[in-house]
Amino acid sequence: MQLWIPFAASAGALLAVASFVGAGWDAPPVESTQIGYRGTGMYLEQDVEKLEALKVANVVPEAPWEADPEGDRAGDLYENVQVLGDLSDDQFNQFMASITEWIAPEQGCEYCHDLENLASDQIYQKVVARRMIQMNQAINVDWGDHVGATGVTCYTCHRGHGIPLDYWVDDQEPKPASNMSRAGQNVAGTYSGNTSLPQNALMDYLLGDEPIRVHSLSALPTGTNPAGVKETEKTWSLMMYMSESLGVNCVTCHNSRAFNDWDQSPPQRVTAWHGINMTRALNTDYLTGLAPVFPAHRKGPEGDVFKVGCATCHNGVQKPLYGVSMLQAYVDALDKKGPTDVPDYSTYVPGETQVMGAQAPTTSSALPPRTTVADAKD
Amino acid sequence: MALLSFERKYRVRGGTLIGGDLFDFWVGPFYVGFFGVTTAFFASLGTALIIYGAALGPTWNIWQISIAPPDLSYGLALAPLKEGGLWQIITVCALGAFCSWALREVEICRKLGIGYHVPFAFSFAIFAYATLVVIRPLLLGAWGHGFPYGIFSHLDWVSNVGYQYLHFHYNPAHMIAVSFFFTTCLALALHGGLILSAANPGESQEGGGKQAEVKTPEYEDTFFRDIIGYSIGTLGIHRLGLILALNAGFWSAVCIVISGPFWNQGWPQWWNWWLDLPIWS
Amino acid sequence: MSQYQNILTIVQISGPAEDGMPLPRGDSERRGTPKMSRLLGWIGNAQLGPIYLGYLGSLSLLFGFIAFEIIGLNMLASVGWDPVQFVRQLFWLGLEPPPAHYGIKVLPPLNDGGWWLIAGFFLTASVLLWWLRVYRRARQLELGTHVAWAFASAIWLFLVLGFIRPLLMGNFSEAVPFGIFPHLDWTAAFSIRYGNLYYNPFHCLSIVFLYGSVLLFAMHGATILAVGKYGGERELEQITDRGTASERAALFWRWTMGFNATMESVHRWAWWFAILTPLTGGIGILLTGTVVDNWYLWGIEHGLVSPLPDIYPDVVDPAAQ
Repeated sequence: MQLWIPFAASAGALLAVASFVGAGWDAPPVESTQIGYRGTGMYLEQDVEKLEALKVANVVPEAPWEADPEGDRAGDLYENVQVLGDLSDDQFNQFMASITEWIAPEQGCEYCHDLENLASDQIYQKVVARRMIQMNQAINVDWGDHVGATGVTCYTCHRGHGIPLDYWVDDQEPKPASNMSRAGQNVAGTYSGNTSLPQNALMDYLLGDEPIRVHSLSALPTGTNPAGVKETEKTWSLMMYMSESLGVNCVTCHNSRAFNDWDQSPPQRVTAWHGINMTRALNTDYLTGLAPVFPAHRKGPEGDVFKVGCATCHNGVQKPLYGVSMLQAYVDALDKKGPTDVPDYSTYVPGETQVMGAQAPTTSSALPPRTTVADAKD
Repeated sequence: MALLSFERKYRVRGGTLIGGDLFDFWVGPFYVGFFGVTTAFFASLGTALIIYGAALGPTWNIWQISIAPPDLSYGLALAPLKEGGLWQIITVCALGAFCSWALREVEICRKLGIGYHVPFAFSFAIFAYATLVVIRPLLLGAWGHGFPYGIFSHLDWVSNVGYQYLHFHYNPAHMIAVSFFFTTCLALALHGGLILSAANPGESQEGGGKQAEVKTPEYEDTFFRDIIGYSIGTLGIHRLGLILALNAGFWSAVCIVISGPFWNQGWPQWWNWWLDLPIWS
Repeated sequence: MSQYQNILTIVQISGPAEDGMPLPRGDSERRGTPKMSRLLGWIGNAQLGPIYLGYLGSLSLLFGFIAFEIIGLNMLASVGWDPVQFVRQLFWLGLEPPPAHYGIKVLPPLNDGGWWLIAGFFLTASVLLWWLRVYRRARQLELGTHVAWAFASAIWLFLVLGFIRPLLMGNFSEAVPFGIFPHLDWTAAFSIRYGNLYYNPFHCLSIVFLYGSVLLFAMHGATILAVGKYGGERELEQITDRGTASERAALFWRWTMGFNATMESVHRWAWWFAILTPLTGGIGILLTGTVVDNWYLWGIEHGLVSPLPDIYPDVVDPAAQ
C-alpha cells in the first residue's frame, strides 16, 4: 500500500471539513430584497441571523441628558475652547459627557484631558478630537448629499472606541522581494475584499482623486479613453471595498448590463458618488493633516495616518446605525459649523504644547496644495 | 413516409410506458408515443404563451422579447398573468415538455432495445433548469428569482446574479463547473479528431497522391500513447465524455443553488476559511 | 431491474501490453515500459505508456518547464520568498504583463512585465512545438491531421489573447496575467471595461458552441454506451461496415428529433462544435477594443438590448450637474 494515500486522504478530509465549518455557510430562510425591475436579477440576499446580530450591534446610544441651551457660553466660562465656544455651559458639558461615552467609555475624561488642567492640549487625543469635531460639523453642514438629515456624530465612526475599528492605511504587504514588483496586486488584499485585485486602490480614490470611470461612451473606439483592463481592476477593487463596507452588492447601485449608465442605476449610486467625494475630502482636508500629531503606533506600517473609508461609518450596514439620527440632541454642537481654522500641526509637541491654536489660520489641511490630476470629478 | 434504408425492421410495436398501442406510431420520422402527445401539448401551450407574452410587451424584435418572472413580493404564490403569472405557467409548460421529452426518449430506448443513458443524461440538463427556476426560488422564498425568458434579457439576469456575489468567478463550485465545461470541449475535439483522423487518413506515406488505408483502433491507441503516454480507449472515451459533460451540468446547478440560499456574501469571502487557517494566521 | 449500465468495467482482463503500431524509420524508439493500472481500468484502458519523445516533444517539455518555473519563481518572489505565504496565497499570486506605457517594446524591465513576456514566449514556443508534435505523430502513423487542426483552433484563441490583440492594441498591458485568481479578475475586468461582453455576438457564438459541445458529448457518449451491448464503441468498424449499433443509435435520434447523424458524421458535428468554440471566441476577443469599445452600446445600436421600464426616473449623473 502506498504511504502517501492515507496522508493525502486525511489532508483532503481535513480541508473539506475546514471549508464546511469555517466558511460561514448559511441556510434558508434568507432575507431577499428586490432592487430592480422583476427578472433583472437585481436582488440582495442577506443572512437572517447576521442581520439580527447587526441590528443588535447598531443601536444608537441615548444622550445622557437633554441639554439646556440657556446660560453663559462655554467659550466665556472655560479656557482654550476653540470650536465649541458658542455652546451653552450645559450643552458643552452634555457634549463632553457624550463624547466620553462615544470615544473612551472605559478610559473616561483622561483619554483626552490632563485631569489637573482640563484646558491643556498636551495630550494628543485632545488636539485630534478638536479637529475631528470640526470634521464632524463639516460633514453635517456640507455633505448633506451623502448623510442627509440623519447626519453623523463621533459615535457613527468611533462606536465606543478611541480608534474606529474599520480604518484603512497604505497596504503594501506582503512586500515582494527586492527588485521585484507585484504591480500592487495579486495577493489576497485586505481592502480589496480578499480578491487578487489591486490592493491599494483606496489610496488612489479615497485620498487621491484618480478617475474612477473606465467605460467608453461610444460603441466604437475614439482613442480618447485612457482606461484599460488594469484601471478597471483598480476601480473594481474600490467597488469591492464599498460593497463589503455596506453589506451590499454591486446591483445595489448598478445594473451590471451597463455599469456606467446612470439611467439604469438605482438612486443609491448618486448617494455613493457623494460618499466617495466626501471620504476623499475628509482624508485630504482633515486626516492626513494630523500626521504630525499622531504618534507612530497610530500610523500604518508605511507610516501614514489611519484614514476614513466607507466601512468606518457604515460598519457593514447600508445606512449607518440603520438611519437613526443622533443629531437632535447635538444640533448646536455638531450640526453647525464653529470656527474652521486649522493650526500648524507641525509645531505640536505632545506632553508640552499647552495650546494648539490656529496662529496662522488656513482653511484646509497643513499639506502643500495638490496639483490636481483630472478635471472630471467622480 | 421516407424511412432510412435499414429502418423498417426496427419499427416494431412495444416499449411504451403508458398507453400501450394507442400512441405507438410515427409521424414522419418522429416517434409519437403518449409522451409525444404530452410534449406537443406542453410545447405548443408554452410557445403560445410566450408569443402572448411578447404581444403584451413593447417589441417583436426577437433579441429583445422578454417574459419576466414576478416581483419577489408575490413570494411562492401565483402572480397575476401580466405581472409574472405568464412566466410561471410557461415554466410549468417547459418542465412538462422537458420531462415528457425524456420519458419519450425512454420509450424509444425500450423499443430499440438500447440502454437508457441518453434520457438519464438529459435529466441532468432538466435538473439544472429546474434548479434555476424551481429549487433555488423555492429555497429563497419567491418564484421571482427565476431567470426571464428572453435571448438577451436572460444574459442580463446572469450578469446581475453573478455580481450579487461581487465576483462570481471565486465561487468554487463555479470553478469546478467551468473546468468541466472546458475539459469536455477539449475531450470532444480530441475524440472527434481522432475518429476522423483514423477514418480519413489523408495521403499515403508512400506518396504518389494515393489515399492511405482506413485505420483501426490500434492506431488510435498508439497515437495517444505516443503523444501523452495514455490512451483511454474506444469505450473509455465515451464514458469519460459522458462523465465530464454530466459533471459540467451538475456542478453548474450546484454553483447556483448555493448562491443565495447557502451563501449570501461575496464569493471571494468564501476563501477566508483557507486564508485564516490556524496553521498560518 | 438490475442491469449492467456499461459505466465501469467490473471484470478487468489483463493481457500483454501493446507496443503500438510500428513507426517509420527515422523516428526514435518509444520510451518507458508499459505499466498496468487497475484504477484506470475501471473506466478505460489499463495500460500506461509507452510514450514517444522525440526532439519536438522534448524541446516542448523543456520550454514549458522553463515557463512554469519563471511563473512560479516570480510568484514566490512576489511574497518576499516566504514559502508559507506562497502556499497560503497561491491562488491569489500571479505574474502581470507590463503596463501600457511600454507599448510593444521587447523587453521592458524584468520586474515591470519583462518576466511575463519571457514566460509567455517560452510557453508559446512550447505550445507551438507541441502542435508540431501532434501533427507529426499523426502523419508518421499515417493518420489524418484532424486532431492537430483542432488544437490549432485552441492555439488561435491563446495567441489572440496573449499576442495578436496586444499587438493591435499597441501594448501588452491588456494581455492575460498568469495566476489562478488574477486571470479570473482579468476576465471579468475585460468584460466590464468593454461594456459587457454578453453583447458581443462572437461571445454569444462561442458560448453556443461551448454548451453545444457539452451537449453533444453527453448525447454521443450516452448513445454509444447505450448501444454498448451491440459493440457501438467500435466506431471505426461501424463506420466502414454499419452494424446494428450504428443503426439503433441513428434511429434513436431520428425518432426523437426527426433527424440523425451517422457514425462518422457525428464526429464531424463534434469536431466542428468543439473547434468553433475557441475560433469564434478568439474573433470576439480580437474585435474588442480594436473595432468595438463598448459592446452594450453596440448592442443598443443593433437592436439587441431588451427595453426595461425606468423604475428610477430621477437618477442623473451628479458629475454632469
